[in-house]
Amino acid sequence: MHAGLVEEEELFRAVQRSGTRALLIGRRALIMLGLPVATFDYDFWIHIDDAERLNQALEPLGLVPNRSPEEARRFGRYVLENDTRVDVMVARVVPTVDGQRVAWEDVWERRVSLEAVPGIPVAIPCVDDLIATKRFGARAKDANDIQLLQVLQKRGTS
Amino acid sequence: MSERQDWPTAEDIARVREAAERPLPLEEFLAWINTPMSEEEEAEALSLINWFMRRYPTPAERLAYARRMTRHWPR
Repeated sequence: MHAGLVEEEELFRAVQRSGTRALLIGRRALIMLGLPVATFDYDFWIHIDDAERLNQALEPLGLVPNRSPEEARRFGRYVLENDTRVDVMVARVVPTVDGQRVAWEDVWERRVSLEAVPGIPVAIPCVDDLIATKRFGARAKDANDIQLLQVLQKRGTS
Repeated sequence: MSERQDWPTAEDIARVREAAERPLPLEEFLAWINTPMSEEEEAEALSLINWFMRRYPTPAERLAYARRMTRHWPR
């Protein structure tokens, strides 16, 4: 079992090999697209049936869930943690702060696949959907990130 | 490993995190995201993005950079 910080490559490899339908959201996704922002955490939005699969995949890395899969589905989110923190959303639909309903299935359908580590693809939402996920909360950093994503959108992502 | 002078302290990190993660009143949040950046702000953001994408052309390189930057920061 690992103690302490999880190696990013191991994390992404474990998620990929597990077959979890996982979207990387949050600032790591922004960084992959080209936004120079900082974060300590990992944020995933997974298919509602895949919490068990994800937990099993990350258990060898020492990441422990704070809720059972049933509880996680009821609350819509949970955390896997040791010294690394992985926030996981497990809701089918999440409302934005201004009432728009964002469905996991739709975001998954429009996903983009990028290599997080050479040979290991990770699914992230398209830019429009990332902006929508940044409206799930109304934090200062979300507002800032939305503005940066809009600049990226104007510029183009390649 | 020796501590570099230019790394943020635990207090710096906590202060920035608190400011960044604070929930805003809905009206304030919507006003922020619906107010376009000034030309100057947008040019500065674009310049940073262009630098980052030029310096780190692939998503994997960008993640690796971010990882290196934060690896030794206090949590």
